[in-house]
Amino acid sequence: MQKHTRSRQAMLYFLILLMLISGCGGAPQASGEDETEVTIAVSGAWALYPMMVRWAEEYEVSHPGVQFDISAGGAGKGMADVLSDMVDIGMVSREIRPEEEAQGANGIAVAKDAVFPTINVQNPALMELMASGITQEIFAGIYIRGDITTWGQVLGDPAITDPLHVYTRSDACGAAEVWAKYLGGMQEDLLGIGVFSDPGILEAVINDALGLGYNNLNYAFDPHTGEPVLGSVVVPVDINGDGRVDDGELLDTKEKAIEAVSSGNYPSPPARVLYLVTNGQPSGAVLDFLNWVLNEGQAFLGEAGYISLAESQLNVERDKLH
Amino acid sequence: MASNFKLLPPLRLFSRQRKDRAVQRLSRIAITLPLVVTVGMVVALVMRALPITTLTSVWDFLGGKVWHPLQGEFGLFPFIVGTLWVTILSMVLAVPVCLLSAIYLAEYAHPALLAVTKPIIDLLAGIPSVIYGVWGLVVIVPGVRRLGEVVEANGLGAIPLLGTENPTGFSVLAGGLVLAVMVAPVIISVTFEVLNAVPTGLRHASLAVGATRWQTIKFAVLPKAAAGILAGIVLGFSRAFGETMAVMMVIGNVPDMPSSIFDPAYPLTALIANNFGEMLSIPQYDAALMGAALILLVVVLIFNLLSASFLHTVVGRSQQ
Repeated sequence: MQKHTRSRQAMLYFLILLMLISGCGGAPQASGEDETEVTIAVSGAWALYPMMVRWAEEYEVSHPGVQFDISAGGAGKGMADVLSDMVDIGMVSREIRPEEEAQGANGIAVAKDAVFPTINVQNPALMELMASGITQEIFAGIYIRGDITTWGQVLGDPAITDPLHVYTRSDACGAAEVWAKYLGGMQEDLLGIGVFSDPGILEAVINDALGLGYNNLNYAFDPHTGEPVLGSVVVPVDINGDGRVDDGELLDTKEKAIEAVSSGNYPSPPARVLYLVTNGQPSGAVLDFLNWVLNEGQAFLGEAGYISLAESQLNVERDKLH
Repeated sequence: MASNFKLLPPLRLFSRQRKDRAVQRLSRIAITLPLVVTVGMVVALVMRALPITTLTSVWDFLGGKVWHPLQGEFGLFPFIVGTLWVTILSMVLAVPVCLLSAIYLAEYAHPALLAVTKPIIDLLAGIPSVIYGVWGLVVIVPGVRRLGEVVEANGLGAIPLLGTENPTGFSVLAGGLVLAVMVAPVIISVTFEVLNAVPTGLRHASLAVGATRWQTIKFAVLPKAAAGILAGIVLGFSRAFGETMAVMMVIGNVPDMPSSIFDPAYPLTALIANNFGEMLSIPQYDAALMGAALILLVVVLIFNLLSASFLHTVVGRSQQ
């Protein structure tokens, strides 16, 4: 009996001790005051998250004493966090809106990504589509106006009556935003069945022979083979509108897609710029890191499946930091 | 070691009376926590949602049919209707099957079958909803698409609630099917427990006067258990009402009014989950989403209170 009570008492003291200890852990300090130990807090878009993790790994090695605290939760969360000084850097995968700039958002372009239209490999009109491509005007008819509802209308061939199953992203995201911008609208204007997430919309297209969707570079192409994910095809965008697919328009490998985006052949939008956002002008460790990203950091873009900015634009961004 | 403890305050700290009072105080603190959290959530949501009233009237917010927040149109009506459609459909699909299963388990099943079935049903309740969603995306959506094709091919599209222009399978029906499977364990478990709580003497009395098994269930057991069963159904209803991830992955997320079970819909929960992270930095969008969350919370609270009062009645009755 006595022993029992004692052990309970010990437990009580232990619990109290535990509470005291847990109360002591401070939140990570995010300023550059302390030269030896700095934590840079980052949050925001899923689209930039893998790249940020890679950059952080490299930077922590070459700059001992700097640590990163990275979380993903959407571009809007990154923006809200950075504007309320919860984090030092927000990752934003869309254009920065005027009302955000008015609150002090300062965006530095660091990389490019692009959205590609995807269809099913078993599409009954696959050969014709791969030969003629789809123009911006037709895409707008499918996604915004809703007056194009069959694959025959896409090809201008009334003999084909197969309906077109349009898929769009249900979650608010940079990819849908930039795709809508290409077609002259906003994400809330896009028609079609809303499917959650990038892999979700790809899954829907792969399961539906008459489906049409759109995916980011890293989802449209298999990271191992560099070819479109099995079951899907990146349908060529007829950029010059001549009714046939020219050399630079057929994007059947990831390599060609990256080449088309970085050379500027693939239009922007649906290519898009990815931003790191600070609240006002960056300084201290954050400024150093952003400088590093725009210089040494650019070397890691390719292996992580991102596209570099043109050198001229990089110089514009570098100047912004001074 | 033992001598160390003698340095601590005397053991009288733990006298029986003190212990009693301490437990009473601790449990009083504990019970205030959930209350404070609930009230705190409502207050926080109201505060964050309040800016929406400067942009639109409450009536337009709840009854408006157009959702274009960036253009200043905040009609939540399609989402409210979408939530009701998928929830009611899931209950229509789930309730009859669940009640019959629970009756079988409680009244007819061999103990060995019960020992096998109960853990499986409980396991079903513990599966994360995203797994139901993936299952829905891979199995249910293509299945519903094929079903839709069959309906169309046989000219059944003219029947109300069956005709549609959406051939993709992402639909209210897909959402309802996934939800029905998700709420089944809740309804079966509660119903089973309630039936088990009905005194065996009641059954014996009924059987002794020559009633059949079914007559006994129908006239003696079910009336006694009715309120509890209703509570189980309401619990299942609020689970379905609040479910987000699995529904969002299969329902199509189109903010239009559905008129057929093959039409896509857009429930309130999916609206919040789809847009919250990205739209946090746009003040009026944020306020509209908070308003949607508030509506959801209030409705779920009402259903839970209803369910609790039903349960209260049945417990009260069975103790008499």
